[in-house]
Amino acid sequence: MLEARNLRLALPDRSRKPLFGPAPMTEILRGIDLELAAGESLGVVGESGSGKTSLGRTLLRLYRPTGGSLRFEGRDIATLAEADLRPLRARMQMIFQDPMSSLNPRQRIAEIVTQPLWAFGRDVVADHVPALLERVGLTPALAARYPHELSGGQRQRVGIARAIALQPKLVVADEIVSGLDVSTQAQILSLLANLKRDLGLALVFISHDLSVVRVVCDRVMVLSRGEVMETGPCERLFSAPRHPYTRALLEAVPLPEVDPDWIHGGPIEQEDNRGIGMQIKGTVALVTGTSRGIGPEYVRELAKRGAAKVYAAARDTTQIADLAAEFAGTVEAVELDITDPVQVAAAAERCADVQLLINNAGINHNTGLIAPTSLDNARAEMETNYLGTLAMCRAFAPVLQANGGGAIVNMLSILARVCLPLMGSLSASKAAGLMMTQGVRAELAGQGTTVIAVMPGAVETDMTRDLPPPKMPPADVAVAALDAVEQGEEEVYPGDMATGMAQGLAGDPKAVEKELAGILPQ
Amino acid sequence: MTVAPTLAVASLRLDLGHTPILRGVDIDVMPGEVHGLVGESGAGKTMVGKAVLGIAPAGARIRSGSMTFLREDLIAMPERRRRDLLGRQIALIPQDPMTGLNPVLRIDRQMTDPLRLHLGLDRPAAAAKALDLLHQVRIREPERVLRQYPHELSGGMRQRVLIAMAFSCRPQLIVADEPTTALDVTVQRQILRLIKELQETAGTAILFITHDLGVVSKICDRVSVIHSGRILESAGVADLFDFPQHDYTRALMRATPRYDRPGDLLQPVPADLTARLIAEAEALDA
Repeated sequence: MLEARNLRLALPDRSRKPLFGPAPMTEILRGIDLELAAGESLGVVGESGSGKTSLGRTLLRLYRPTGGSLRFEGRDIATLAEADLRPLRARMQMIFQDPMSSLNPRQRIAEIVTQPLWAFGRDVVADHVPALLERVGLTPALAARYPHELSGGQRQRVGIARAIALQPKLVVADEIVSGLDVSTQAQILSLLANLKRDLGLALVFISHDLSVVRVVCDRVMVLSRGEVMETGPCERLFSAPRHPYTRALLEAVPLPEVDPDWIHGGPIEQEDNRGIGMQIKGTVALVTGTSRGIGPEYVRELAKRGAAKVYAAARDTTQIADLAAEFAGTVEAVELDITDPVQVAAAAERCADVQLLINNAGINHNTGLIAPTSLDNARAEMETNYLGTLAMCRAFAPVLQANGGGAIVNMLSILARVCLPLMGSLSASKAAGLMMTQGVRAELAGQGTTVIAVMPGAVETDMTRDLPPPKMPPADVAVAALDAVEQGEEEVYPGDMATGMAQGLAGDPKAVEKELAGILPQ
Repeated sequence: MTVAPTLAVASLRLDLGHTPILRGVDIDVMPGEVHGLVGESGAGKTMVGKAVLGIAPAGARIRSGSMTFLREDLIAMPERRRRDLLGRQIALIPQDPMTGLNPVLRIDRQMTDPLRLHLGLDRPAAAAKALDLLHQVRIREPERVLRQYPHELSGGMRQRVLIAMAFSCRPQLIVADEPTTALDVTVQRQILRLIKELQETAGTAILFITHDLGVVSKICDRVSVIHSGRILESAGVADLFDFPQHDYTRALMRATPRYDRPGDLLQPVPADLTARLIAEAEALDA
């Protein structure tokens, strides 16, 4: 009766709306397949942000899907115009979570439950209202009351009465018992089960509570981040869950029985800010400066996290032959000098499927600003670290936009925030890079591109030979930066040194400057 | 020698206007104990917590009974003394983390102010302590969180911050009012574990208010069941679940769905039982 194939939905993300211009679109449903037979009930479970409410609304065409097909009683309704949908609407109804906000406070109960009949031009006869109220276990005497005079459970019954007034074939119930006490909840659930049986309703029952779903539904679908993790008959799914996410969900439910070990089991770490960042798995990335230092570590970590393709860019690709061979099939070597506009433009054309740009290439002449350095060193650092990185951002902004937004990672340094005189000219170029990163972030917010500044402390590479330890391993920087991509963070300070300095800068920037001031070039 | 309870509530009667809300509540929360107070909406469980904290709404009047915190009379105590206790020796973990945090102040300021006030720390010491507390509640990148405003954090993160704040002055008693009700189950599990571990380490007594028998069974040592402003039953958690004494406790258990027992038919609390409980409660008002 209801069938969805590869159903997709994107909605504007108002939290990321720029001051001017439209909010960027964000994918809510990422290809949902679903079938529902007449009289069948399907539970949709998931945590907040999983897309379960949006799915319910899309199934009833309260939202227009951005892709895929949606068939109701054999008709494709995915793109049907509102006028053509209208006759179908009587057969598909919704029960909302919060009856206080979904019932008109100025209407009496009788008016509320007969509203759908009026709207569809049906005759309303005298015994309609008492019959409907009795059907949902309410006394007809409540017909003259207003919603605020009713208890939460009674209000939810009114919402149900309104939904069944037109004798629909399909009902979507969205978290209809979530605010209720267990005893009221039990009443509403048994009412729903009876109605489903007596009226032959097909039911989509959306809930965050797995136990409640088990009571009402024949089959269940587990959603996370707009994707179906697992679907199956309740009997099988609750006793033998196949997907790790389903298992984690079931284990997290505190069943009412004493189990002293339960509380000390399971994760205690902070949850991921799921749904905010970008998943590396399956994405196409480009990393610059992969011949040494942190670059090869980015490539390895991207491959480890399941990137679909990684363009490894270097001025001299013979230096990365081994790396490309190590990950043959995933890694593709690209010859690229980011200070050469022709090569940058060619790379943007060749790598038109990039979703994640990692601007890692940079140089460090390990010189101060006045003596004994030459101005050429400062100019070269600026040329690569600032202008080269900017050129890459400019060239790839349209590529990322075409590929759905994506992300840019700019490898800076904690020296973007405070000057180490020993590397004064590097610090200056990194500070320029930080301001550039902030500007690019603001300009690309409208197209949904996340722009991330990575600011580690000293890293064990060729560039930091002159620095005393402690220095962090380059692989750790790549891990922290890619974590930031997946969590949607805009600034990351990998390692204890950078974290400590960032904290110091937040409290007393002058003190940090003074601390570094003594470390001068020889 | 018997150990004195951290919190002793005895025969507490409280009216809101002319409506009786609490009708003789008895609860002893022992040192180091998590004491669950479980009931449905309107049972009076939140009011017990508010009375203990001294934040009952205007119009609330204590008619009789006593509340003692570490042998000090909470009812007769001067307002100044009470304020001194709040936050330092008695802390709150609220249900809605957004109302527990000031939306216009950075986390930094909200955490360090009480530390400076109650513990007399100077600014750098308070900042260091705040950072340490966020580490303890396993917040990743605590330095960044300190600079953020509440709306920039997820619900689970805000609740972690509030837990850090509640434990920050090493209080003897924490009133936790439905602290995980607004959270997803996986986040709820993390938060419950966090509260339990901090509580065990610090030996804090907690009055844990909730409607959820599942949560009670996992985190509480003792449980009191409340209905219509009366404690119907009080028992160790294992006894309560294995041998529930009161009809209402049993009814509540039968009304709670469980995904692992589909065969058990859900039974709403019988209407005649509810009517009887209300009649019994109202008989006490005379």
